[in-house]
Amino acid sequence: MYILEAIKVAIDSILSNKLRALLTMLGIIIGIASVITIVSLGAGGQKAILGEFEKIGVSVFSIKTKNNVEIRESDKLTLKDVEMIRKRLSSVKYAAPITEKFGLAKTDKLTKRAIFIATDFDYGNVSNIKIIYGRFLNEKDILMGRNVVLIDKDSAKELFGYEDCVGKTIKIGSSSSFDTAKIIGVIDSGNLKSLGGSIADQIPVIAAIPITYAQKIFQDVDISQIYVMTYNQNQLDEASSQAVRLIESFHHNKDKYEAENLIGFLEEFNRILSIFTAIIGAIAGISLIVGGIGIMNIMLVSVTERTREIGIRKAIGARQKDILMQFLIEAVAISLLGGAIGIFFGYILSNIIGPFINITPIISINTILIAFLFSSAVGIFFGIYPAQKAARLDPIVALRYE
Amino acid sequence: MIELSNVRKVYNLGKVQVNALKGVSLKINKGEYVAIVGPSGSGKSTLMNIIGLLDKPTSGSYKLNGTEISTLNDDQLAYLRNRQIGFVFQSFNLLSKLDALSNVELPMLYAKIPAKERRKRAIKALEIVGLSERIHHKPNELSGGQQQRVAIARAIVMNPSFLLADEPTGNLDTNSSIEIMKIFYQLNEAGTTIVMVTHEQDIANHAKRILRLRDGNIIEDTPIANRITY
Repeated sequence: MYILEAIKVAIDSILSNKLRALLTMLGIIIGIASVITIVSLGAGGQKAILGEFEKIGVSVFSIKTKNNVEIRESDKLTLKDVEMIRKRLSSVKYAAPITEKFGLAKTDKLTKRAIFIATDFDYGNVSNIKIIYGRFLNEKDILMGRNVVLIDKDSAKELFGYEDCVGKTIKIGSSSSFDTAKIIGVIDSGNLKSLGGSIADQIPVIAAIPITYAQKIFQDVDISQIYVMTYNQNQLDEASSQAVRLIESFHHNKDKYEAENLIGFLEEFNRILSIFTAIIGAIAGISLIVGGIGIMNIMLVSVTERTREIGIRKAIGARQKDILMQFLIEAVAISLLGGAIGIFFGYILSNIIGPFINITPIISINTILIAFLFSSAVGIFFGIYPAQKAARLDPIVALRYE
Repeated sequence: MIELSNVRKVYNLGKVQVNALKGVSLKINKGEYVAIVGPSGSGKSTLMNIIGLLDKPTSGSYKLNGTEISTLNDDQLAYLRNRQIGFVFQSFNLLSKLDALSNVELPMLYAKIPAKERRKRAIKALEIVGLSERIHHKPNELSGGQQQRVAIARAIVMNPSFLLADEPTGNLDTNSSIEIMKIFYQLNEAGTTIVMVTHEQDIANHAKRILRLRDGNIIEDTPIANRITY
């Protein structure tokens, strides 16, 4: 029998028993819908978290002195170290020193506490700092230790009454001495605040200044960390150890520095996610098996009900294969239809739940394909036995069946 | 065309063995119209199933158009049933969900005949049995006689070697029975071979030749002298 005709027969048969077919599909619908919901929310969550990692930079590592070893003056990180890492390591794209200083920021009317991020021009590249107005630090600012500053937009609004305060001057320093600096840029607060952590919440003004300028107006400006970005993520490990060795050889010491990156965290995160996915898969598998048993059950009933039809078809020339295909296609059609309805409900459900848990669900073509693949596999697996039973019926017995 | 020699059929019912056919030999040629009669238990149903390729003899030989069927497998038998035999059953055996046209198309579906051709031939077959007005009626919208006519259309649509009718008028009233017998007569006059199993003498008298069975043996094989014609 032509496959198209077989499909038509199967669909006719399903349509003539709509309620029964729907109830049969329920297991598959629930199974597929829950898989789609969980997988799409999981994928959305994963993307959101990976996005956070990406913001910080997955090809960035930091070098700092170890906490538990004695650090002499000669061991401290210097701007020369930054320069060497930048120039001598071919895998390094950017490198920026950073140190935080706490102090005050003043206008004519207001004095506020401030956190100063003393760094150089590359910091704009290794971090996700966002310039809203003006520009970031440039090479000349660093070279000459210019009295320039970038402040966050919330502070700008507080201090000046408006965000775009590029060109204004502000007094910065510690409680004893102040210096007048020119504002060259306004940065998005969110990013730097996240960098500053809990301290940033208490200290409203976040300001970026040239590290060379910081050395003029603050005491003890030691580089706390060097942020380094490689061209590729897979160069991280190599570049980290190279950078550490380079600095060690320059300072004539050993085991005083360490490099850190986010890859380890990322791997752990992915591992947890894959365990999570496996558990979900198992639950989905069970619901699909239950759904499949439902299909098998109803197909067995259907074969019994249609024994006479099978007999007639066989008498007028249907081969075993024809009958087998007819019932198998019917089982697959039921499970595929159930799969399609399940995908639809999964889509709806994930979009309803998504906003409550702050996740934008992602339903990929792959997920849909796999859902269809699984539902047809369930149809074939659980449909084959009833179909074989139908195909092997003795036509004489089948024709006599009332 | 149909050639049985020494055909035996033994059913194993647990410990009991039933000899349904005890060595039947017969020959039916093209264009014949044969009635197989006999009381219930005489073996006529078994004989019909064997002639109709639904069952195989326990021993003996059955040649259909020269092909020995005892060596064929199920699929080969299905193929021959499809091409060589047109079945007409007592209870019509139409598929209730399909309309008349689709029912008649069914054997052609299994013969992989293209849709257009199927339709054309099915309409023609329904015309022959006088049902061209009701091709889209479902079986439950047709009278018994009309249903049997659809079944006859289905039986002849593949141009089989012979029609095999099992009590074709068993479920019909007298008038409908006459209608069906008229169609059989016309088909036979046009060259169709008919083998008909019946227990009604009136119906059997429409055939040209009568085969009487009793206890698994043919006890009479004679031409019918005063057959009913139209």
